[in-house]
Amino acid sequence: MLPGTGVVGAVAVGSLELSIRTIAQLGSDTCGSLPPDVAFVCENAGYLAGGLVLTIALTIASLLVGLVAGFPAGAIEVYGGRYASLAVEAVGTVFRGTPIVVILIFAYFVVPITDWFPIQRVLPVGGAFVAAVVGLGLRSAAYQSQLFRGTLQSVDEGQMEAARAVGLSKLGAIRHVIVPQALRRSVPGFQNEFTIVLKDTSVAIAIGLAELFTRSQDLFVQRTTAVTEVILLISAVYFVMTFGTNRALEYLNDYYAIPGEST
Amino acid sequence: MSDYDPLLTVESVSKRYGDERVLNDVSFTMDRGDVTVMMGPSGSGKSTLLRCVNRLTEVDSGEIRLGDHRVTDPGIDVDALRRDVGMVFQDINLFTHLTALKNVTLGLREVRGFSTDDAREAATEQLERVGLGDQLDSYPGELSGGQKQRVGIARALAMEPELLLFDEPTSALDPELVGEVTAVMADLAAGGMTMLVVTHEKGFAREAATDALFLDAGSIAERGPPAQLFENPENERTAEFLDRVSTVSGEP
Repeated sequence: MLPGTGVVGAVAVGSLELSIRTIAQLGSDTCGSLPPDVAFVCENAGYLAGGLVLTIALTIASLLVGLVAGFPAGAIEVYGGRYASLAVEAVGTVFRGTPIVVILIFAYFVVPITDWFPIQRVLPVGGAFVAAVVGLGLRSAAYQSQLFRGTLQSVDEGQMEAARAVGLSKLGAIRHVIVPQALRRSVPGFQNEFTIVLKDTSVAIAIGLAELFTRSQDLFVQRTTAVTEVILLISAVYFVMTFGTNRALEYLNDYYAIPGEST
Repeated sequence: MSDYDPLLTVESVSKRYGDERVLNDVSFTMDRGDVTVMMGPSGSGKSTLLRCVNRLTEVDSGEIRLGDHRVTDPGIDVDALRRDVGMVFQDINLFTHLTALKNVTLGLREVRGFSTDDAREAATEQLERVGLGDQLDSYPGELSGGQKQRVGIARALAMEPELLLFDEPTSALDPELVGEVTAVMADLAAGGMTMLVVTHEKGFAREAATDALFLDAGSIAERGPPAQLFENPENERTAEFLDRVSTVSGEP
């Protein structure tokens, strides 16, 4: 939605990785004095941190795919011809009607996803990551299209009439008048979508992607007495991330609010 | 007769929505500089007629010409027509995400191809003309109804239209704000702007209009100079309607 989101994401992930490595190093030196199960988690903090990096990357990439595919899809449903909007609607219905775990397994084991989207050739990511981005991304697109459809339709008809009366083409009116208003109204809905995608990255365990949840399972399988400590820790991590991004998006919502209008 | 070249010609225009006849064989003309007010009860077809002139609504039959534009010809460039016809709406319809200034510059830049600086200059001039030189950077939500409608007028004026359409420009306003809008409109009329105005403001009509039309059930029931139409209406429906409007507005 914002230009530079990708860059900011990459920088954030990079600096996070660095600080996590430092913590992990410090951690393994000082973990010994803790109770045994806590010490186990403490010693493996670096391993979990690696999963966290993947979780964040997966969330950002999936949301971007969802935005890039979902916004035009929503616009087609509102402004497109009958057949185009029917087609988009049908695809959306399928994606919204299928469990995310099924979508991921389909993307990874059934279709040759890495041949269709050979992202692994340009970026240092594996096939499971590509499949997870495509699966989570398209599912998010199916939901984001409904978000944008709703906000585009919520802009008063008079706005389009006024724009056309000034002499703008329909496309010009959509671009300069309808979309800027609709995007502002989309931020609260996007907050929900962000939270959902972030939490649903954990489903990538089904295709063995080593994100945060998969790695936490590796740990508590290895040491079953530490399951409480591991799960509590990653629950806290997920919570901090959803809470933090929600606050950030609330700020964005206030920042872009139209003066004099109640939001 | 061949020299007679009206700016706007409306000829036998009819329009129906389903079974309802909204316009029934309406014909009239306007010359450059004319200010014509249209009055009539709710549902008499005033707004529909206005919207047919800039093709926000399509006619079923009949013909409308504006200057060189054959308005009702299905093949015409509608955007080009609308560049020459300004419209001021009942519910104002300012672009809510843009400041007063940008409401005016949008059309200048995107439709008339002005540079940012030129658009700013031209828009400022128009906003000063409607008395809002000090509100350039205010958003619609920060303005009063009367101020908003004046921005709406400036937005239409900036396109330098040949004809300005007003669709009940004051009926959504609080009574005490009506005056500032009709004052701007009277000013434009005095300046020679051609205006087709749907309104029930008899004061404005008396002061500024060259012509008044009374529409009833989709037909022009009566037409004449405002003073004559108001003082001695020939049509019974006109008299009845004007009487009711006067009772509401408290005007004698």
